[in-house]
Amino acid sequence: MDAVRLEIFRHLLASVAEEMGAVLQRAAFSPNIKERRDFSCALFTAQGELVAQAAHIPVHLGAMPLAVQACLEAFPDLQPGDALLLNDPFRGGTHLPDLTLVHPVFSGDRLWGFVATRAHHADIGGMSPGSMPLSREIYQEGLIIPPVKLLRAGQLDTAVWDLLLANVRTPEERTGDLRAQLAAGRRGVARFGELIDRYGAELESAMEALLDYTERLMRRFLEGLPAGTYRFEDALDDDGLSEDPVPIRVAITLTGGEAIVDFSGTAPQRPGNLNAVRAITVSAVYYVFRALIGFDIPANSGCLRPIRVLTPPGSVVDARPPAAVAGGNVETSQRIVDVLLGALAEALPDRVPAASQGTMNNWTIGGWDPFRGRYYTYYETLAGGAGATPDRGGTSAVHTHMTNTLNTPIEALEYAYPFRVRRYAIRDGSGGRGLHRGGDGLVRELELLAPAQVTILAERRRLRPYGLHGGEAGAPGKTVWIHRGRARTLPGKISFWAEAGDRIRIETPGGGGWGAEHRHRTGKGPREPDQGSRVK
Amino acid sequence: MSCRVGVDIGGTFTDFVVYEPENGRLWTFKRFSTPDDPARAVLEGIQSLPSPPGEIVHGSTVATNALLERRGARTAFVTTEGFRDLLHIGRQHRSELYDLAARKPEPLVPRAGCFEVPERVGSDGQILRPLPAEALESLLEALGRYGAEAVGVCLLFSFLRPEHERQVGARLRQAGLYVALSSEILPEFREYERASTTVASAYVAPVLDRYLSRLEEALGGLRFRVMQSNGGLIRTEEVRTQAVRCALSGPAGGLIGARYVAGLGGVHNLITFDMGGTSTDVALIAGELPLTTGGSIDGLPIGVPMLDIHTVGAGGGSIAAVDPGGALRVGPRSAGADPGPACYGKGGEAATVTDAHLVLGRLSGEWFLGGRYPLDPRAALDVLERLAREAKLEGAGELSPAEVAALGVLQVAHAHMERALRVISVERGHDPRDFVLVCFGGAGPLHAAELARSLGIRHVLVPAQASVLSALGMLAADVRRDYVQTVMLSGPIPRGELARRFIPLLQQAFRDLRREGFPRSAMILERVLEVRYAGQSYTLSVPFNRRWRAAFEEMHQSAYGYADPTAAVEITNLRVHATGLGSPPRLPEIERGSTEPERTALLEKRPLVVEGDKIVVPLYDGLMLRAGNRICGPALCVRPDTTIYLPPGSTGAVDSTGNLWIELA
Repeated sequence: MDAVRLEIFRHLLASVAEEMGAVLQRAAFSPNIKERRDFSCALFTAQGELVAQAAHIPVHLGAMPLAVQACLEAFPDLQPGDALLLNDPFRGGTHLPDLTLVHPVFSGDRLWGFVATRAHHADIGGMSPGSMPLSREIYQEGLIIPPVKLLRAGQLDTAVWDLLLANVRTPEERTGDLRAQLAAGRRGVARFGELIDRYGAELESAMEALLDYTERLMRRFLEGLPAGTYRFEDALDDDGLSEDPVPIRVAITLTGGEAIVDFSGTAPQRPGNLNAVRAITVSAVYYVFRALIGFDIPANSGCLRPIRVLTPPGSVVDARPPAAVAGGNVETSQRIVDVLLGALAEALPDRVPAASQGTMNNWTIGGWDPFRGRYYTYYETLAGGAGATPDRGGTSAVHTHMTNTLNTPIEALEYAYPFRVRRYAIRDGSGGRGLHRGGDGLVRELELLAPAQVTILAERRRLRPYGLHGGEAGAPGKTVWIHRGRARTLPGKISFWAEAGDRIRIETPGGGGWGAEHRHRTGKGPREPDQGSRVK
Repeated sequence: MSCRVGVDIGGTFTDFVVYEPENGRLWTFKRFSTPDDPARAVLEGIQSLPSPPGEIVHGSTVATNALLERRGARTAFVTTEGFRDLLHIGRQHRSELYDLAARKPEPLVPRAGCFEVPERVGSDGQILRPLPAEALESLLEALGRYGAEAVGVCLLFSFLRPEHERQVGARLRQAGLYVALSSEILPEFREYERASTTVASAYVAPVLDRYLSRLEEALGGLRFRVMQSNGGLIRTEEVRTQAVRCALSGPAGGLIGARYVAGLGGVHNLITFDMGGTSTDVALIAGELPLTTGGSIDGLPIGVPMLDIHTVGAGGGSIAAVDPGGALRVGPRSAGADPGPACYGKGGEAATVTDAHLVLGRLSGEWFLGGRYPLDPRAALDVLERLAREAKLEGAGELSPAEVAALGVLQVAHAHMERALRVISVERGHDPRDFVLVCFGGAGPLHAAELARSLGIRHVLVPAQASVLSALGMLAADVRRDYVQTVMLSGPIPRGELARRFIPLLQQAFRDLRREGFPRSAMILERVLEVRYAGQSYTLSVPFNRRWRAAFEEMHQSAYGYADPTAAVEITNLRVHATGLGSPPRLPEIERGSTEPERTALLEKRPLVVEGDKIVVPLYDGLMLRAGNRICGPALCVRPDTTIYLPPGSTGAVDSTGNLWIELA
């Protein structure tokens, strides 16, 4: 395929994914999808290779092809008009709140490919509102959906639908969000179909050519890196059940346009919920290389062809059933990025930034809203400090790496839930010092106006985001519960009932600094021992 | 009444359209813009008129440039205690997903310029914490120390209960500061967007005020109106308190002009296509002007209604290059005006879209811009030959590698534009085939017909005034004001209750239009509800009448493929769109001719590369065409400011005012 056709098809396929995203965002119900845009839309070949994805949430990138694979395995006999639903992390999913819908695209009776949408739903049942519980096994996290047909030849399977809605706390909202996903999928099927009608066989070779093209770009990039093996280790604070850190270790070997990313030596999966399935690890690898390339390359499977990802089965980066995985997607994914960047900092010292906050500071609050007479679930993640880069200080109060969701506006929040926001501010001084300072985290303080169950799932409360090249680590995060006038610092992972009038304050971590600070010493100690380190 | 003048300031030229209502005479001229002092070109142009005009309608880029170049007033931000960092946190996301530095747009006010006042209003409009008077004095002191010239004030839930904001505003205005209050600028929920809009208003107000005062002083007591971002006019006095309403005043004129010219031809559904040197603006007009409240400038949200214009980074000067993976990319880098495309002969070494046109014969070296700027075909050929080698493109049939590469550059540029046109049409539930493509801007008419064809569009309109369409739009525009009030109503809502809540907005609209000098018969007041299903975050706008609910279901069905008449809905905002009908100029008629163009209109026959073939086509002088003339494609038509390409299978027809209508078979 020549240079011109390649570029034309890149635009055509990307625009289908973007259009699906526009439909999903506008039609969805929950603030999580509409305001925070926690979703992704993508196109696949008939073999399940990702050919185009709208730039939404990086954590979905490497993971979506596995969803399509799981559907292909479960249903070799797909029909036009079918749509498959799944969330099982061990069969194509990532964590249970992420519901994925996969639509096969046919022309006549020939399968041409797939479109898929994945969206984070605010509740999918389980032991605590918001379905991000501090669980010990996946069965506590909510309803597990293996690939099932939600639409059969265009007809909704009401049994599946009803079963799903009977297991969630906010069925109206789920209905609206799922309908929005279906609408986006239908739009994708229609647009993909138009491309098939317009280009026929050329479309097929174009999809292949685009995968090859992206592969070429990635190989070219990898060839430019100094060959060698680069190692790094960092750790999660704990799994929420014991206080033991959970080390993640990586060795990246770069040779002749290929990379082997080996996570050997990483901790075995833990009883807590920080286990990540392999799909998440692959997504994190994809994200890091895609970001380092610094060039607008298509989001597709070709990107990963020159990269081999080795994950020890049964480890926290490749969990097996019945591991609890609610936090793997949101927290462990960030630490995986930290170790990957830490390792690559040696190969690319002028590109790699210091560690960013390394957590999403998930909080979920749910209960009965006496003012509005309904049950509610609120889920949100909080931004923090970005790591300083070789040429500038880190951005403050910003989402980094594996997420880029928007906040819920204070006024939207107070309209919808029995809360009052007391403070929302940049957490001054939390960024690590250095030639370039790490970005500062933020502070968000809520007052509950009614009793509620609060679940916090956060990291970097003890082990700080590392600095690079002499820059200092960022400040760790902190969660404070102000109950009847007394403030208590809580652990990073906790679920508890709070009373009306209680306040919860989350202070998010700062980013690491980059480079040694040119200054007179101010009495600050040497480099902290509790940050990630290069493994010799 | 003496003449009316429409003025539009562009990067290179300031355009003037003069209309004399008594005799229906309409004429246009251009002067070089004076970017260091934009008012100078405007004043010189006005002063060159034979008699002073009765009214000036002006599109101003002063506010836009102040925002883009960060040359606004020293501005402070005041908000509720606990939320000083509202602007700096924003929506907490980074602009680019794969940016390891996680950059966000830089707010207009640095953190040192953000201040808090102790007060709080709840989501039900109750005052939870009253604002103490002493707080205002210490605020004033702090603002003085900061050296603020302008202040944007946005307190939480002020759109429900504006008292505190008004108290702050009154005190600061008394002290002589420019003040923008969020409850006046954008009384709707979502604090960050409201704050951002309010601060932008404060930031540009003093700059705009100085600019307008200068014009007003120099021009005496003329009637003077300014184009707003929503495509309606506003009096200069009001610009001063609502400066942000002019934040995107420039492109609005083009849309109004396009809509006006198309409307005279009986066309009300149109897609505008304005292709310039570095970028292309597209917009869709389905009868009504398309408005958005989700706009932004330089990454900063501007929540007041603006015309919904989508911009892509591909224009005539966009650079074509082969990327490391072997794909031919066009843009976003642009050769700009200096050095410009290689064929400008000013040292440009990159192949651009303009160079591709020249190689293919679609632009003529001698006739470009009326022959004032001869182009260098050799330079264009050189850069495209190089591009062909880099892209490994070979000759095909009669075509040389350079010509194949040039066709490729245009195809890729079209892919960009097609994607942009899809965003504004298909993505929003419109079928482009129901629309006429109206093109303007220097490079637009070279691409429009082929682009239309790829989208299934059958008709293209190239207005006679394509090069001054924006200034013409100023004269065709209505006075327009938008009013909004957040209400957050849910459950069964009696129609009478809604009607009652509209009354204050209607009264305000009526008063404002009367002050603008409109009789009741020239006013249109539209009531619009912003509706969503309870739980959704985005709303659809439906006209308020007996069947608003049914209209909402229909709109939801068509936009998203489902509707649920049994579900509860919420009304977030009430809006009133108030229009004072303008009196647009009559367009001058041109001489009539026969179907066949006069022999003198044919400048030459020239070789042209068309879809893989090389053929000889006629090149017409656009100024010599007569009403009723028809041209069959393939053909070219040059005007002093643009070149029109008619591909094979198309027919162009000249109408009574000189517009060219292209029909695609």
